[in-house]
Amino acid sequence: MRTESGADERRLVREAQNGSDAAMAQLYSLHWRGAYRAAYLVVHDAAAAEDIAQDGFLAAVDALDHFDRRRPFRPWLHRIVVNRALDWARREALRRRVDGAESVFEPLPPPEEIGGEMIAALKELPAEQRAVVVLRHLLEYTPGEIAGMLDLPRGTVNSRLRRGLDRLREAAEAELTVEARR
Amino acid sequence: MKRDALGEALRGLPVPMPADAEERGLRVVDAAFVQRRGSERAGPESRVPSLPRLALGLALATLLATLLLSPAGADVRAWVGDAFTASAPRPEPTLTKIPGGGRLLAQTGVGPLVVQPDGSRHLLGDYEAASWSPHGLFVAVAKRQTLSALEPDGTPRWSVTAAQRVAVPRWSPSGEQIAYRSGFDLRVIAGDGTEDRLLAGSIAAHTPPDARISPAFVPPAWAPGGEDALAYVTGPGRLRILESETGAVLAAAPAMHGITWMDWADGGKKILEGSPEALRLRPVWPAGHPSRPALGKARRLPLPAGATVVDAALAPQRSLVAASITYWRKHGTYSEVLVFRPGQDPRTLLSVPGSLGQVEWSPDGKRLLIAWPGANQWLFLPLGQGKGRAIANISRAISPDGRPHSFPLIEGWCCRP
Repeated sequence: MRTESGADERRLVREAQNGSDAAMAQLYSLHWRGAYRAAYLVVHDAAAAEDIAQDGFLAAVDALDHFDRRRPFRPWLHRIVVNRALDWARREALRRRVDGAESVFEPLPPPEEIGGEMIAALKELPAEQRAVVVLRHLLEYTPGEIAGMLDLPRGTVNSRLRRGLDRLREAAEAELTVEARR
Repeated sequence: MKRDALGEALRGLPVPMPADAEERGLRVVDAAFVQRRGSERAGPESRVPSLPRLALGLALATLLATLLLSPAGADVRAWVGDAFTASAPRPEPTLTKIPGGGRLLAQTGVGPLVVQPDGSRHLLGDYEAASWSPHGLFVAVAKRQTLSALEPDGTPRWSVTAAQRVAVPRWSPSGEQIAYRSGFDLRVIAGDGTEDRLLAGSIAAHTPPDARISPAFVPPAWAPGGEDALAYVTGPGRLRILESETGAVLAAAPAMHGITWMDWADGGKKILEGSPEALRLRPVWPAGHPSRPALGKARRLPLPAGATVVDAALAPQRSLVAASITYWRKHGTYSEVLVFRPGQDPRTLLSVPGSLGQVEWSPDGKRLLIAWPGANQWLFLPLGQGKGRAIANISRAISPDGRPHSFPLIEGWCCRP
């Protein structure tokens, strides 16, 4: 999913650092949807994902002057986005545990076209496992890169990936069994 | 499961995306970018970007985004149209005509006044609260312990004195009754000032202990279709529907946490509950008999994370909800007016830096009046195509004596066709 070459991206960052509206807009256009998708697949909340993706870009604008042009922009943005998505998911889990008064209300159901066993199984994973699965398989970072992005030992990334994939595989096989019995 | 299959599945998954989310983010990022660039420059003029420059930058950014992401030319047109709809119009110095017609009722620092369609104003008197009757023939006003009905020119029709301070008078849809709060009591009086009676209150001998009116003073709301049903919130936070003639409880359910406001929606099929944190829409089902409704589970309307709801309003005779929200970003406070349609993602009608205030629908439900206290403006924005209007110096423009007072509170826009 890397649609822009490293050289082009560096050029856009350089031009944005020099104050180019168009370069900033192009960086935004190139990366917003990927950032939103990554955030959504971790938090499973469209409004939160929008906010997280937006916040990632605001952080990028904030730190633009100090950004090292030799480094790629994309992983830097994804590091912010996925870490904020993880923070949000942890806070939300905590809020659900302590806020019993809200339990009488139901969240809006997802639209019918959103679904499938894969996403349902992904949603069941702990947020930490979701994050590494999304970083590895959606955004195609290596375990070493993920370890750097999340400030985790590489072994922890690998174990979370393994556990996450095991659970996804179980869900997929269960689904296949149900389908076969029909 | 193969790794590639998982990657393909994650990439192909149609994730839900709120309407205008990408464009909304672009506006915020663009504003932050312009602000960053401005702060780097020495001159004070360059710190505040001019409106045309912002608009140009926004249009360019929007166009680029669209060209990169959307193959359809129609999408380009829609995006650019939305971007310009979402900006505030240039303010005019005086209100010479109410866009869309009708009459406005506004509470000013010296009392409520009626704004006529030609912009002329008439002060009703030194009252603390005011409310239109359904067809605009009368105005119910409150002052300390007195509830009165006036003609729109200020001529008094009747007055009653209550035991405690009177607040939030609300006419029933037929105009035959007025519900109001007196202290912690909910009372109802006939439209001609007779038959004043207690409906629910802390001092009533036969009302349950939790029937006290909410300390949050949520105004009661009449069901649109029926004369008799009145919704209110009790002190412990229960939402109740009462039969106004007898006081019988028709339905009850826990109100949303922190509720500050509610109203009936969708012709009486739903109740919209609001708090600073959320908006929730609750179905009202006819349970076996039309006069015995049942309250369903409330469902949350989607809002940007971290947003604070400032105000919300239901369109007359239409299933539309407008909400004014604010949210904080590193670079300051931003505000938006969102319009919710049934079964659709909300649409951003307006997005500005700073804080917006009340929203009020026009009588025909085709435009919104939006208060912008920080800019001292009222904005009249059409829901569809058309030009919006902004009125500047509103604390002076709506003042009865031409002198600036506190920013006016919108009490109503009269009247439904």
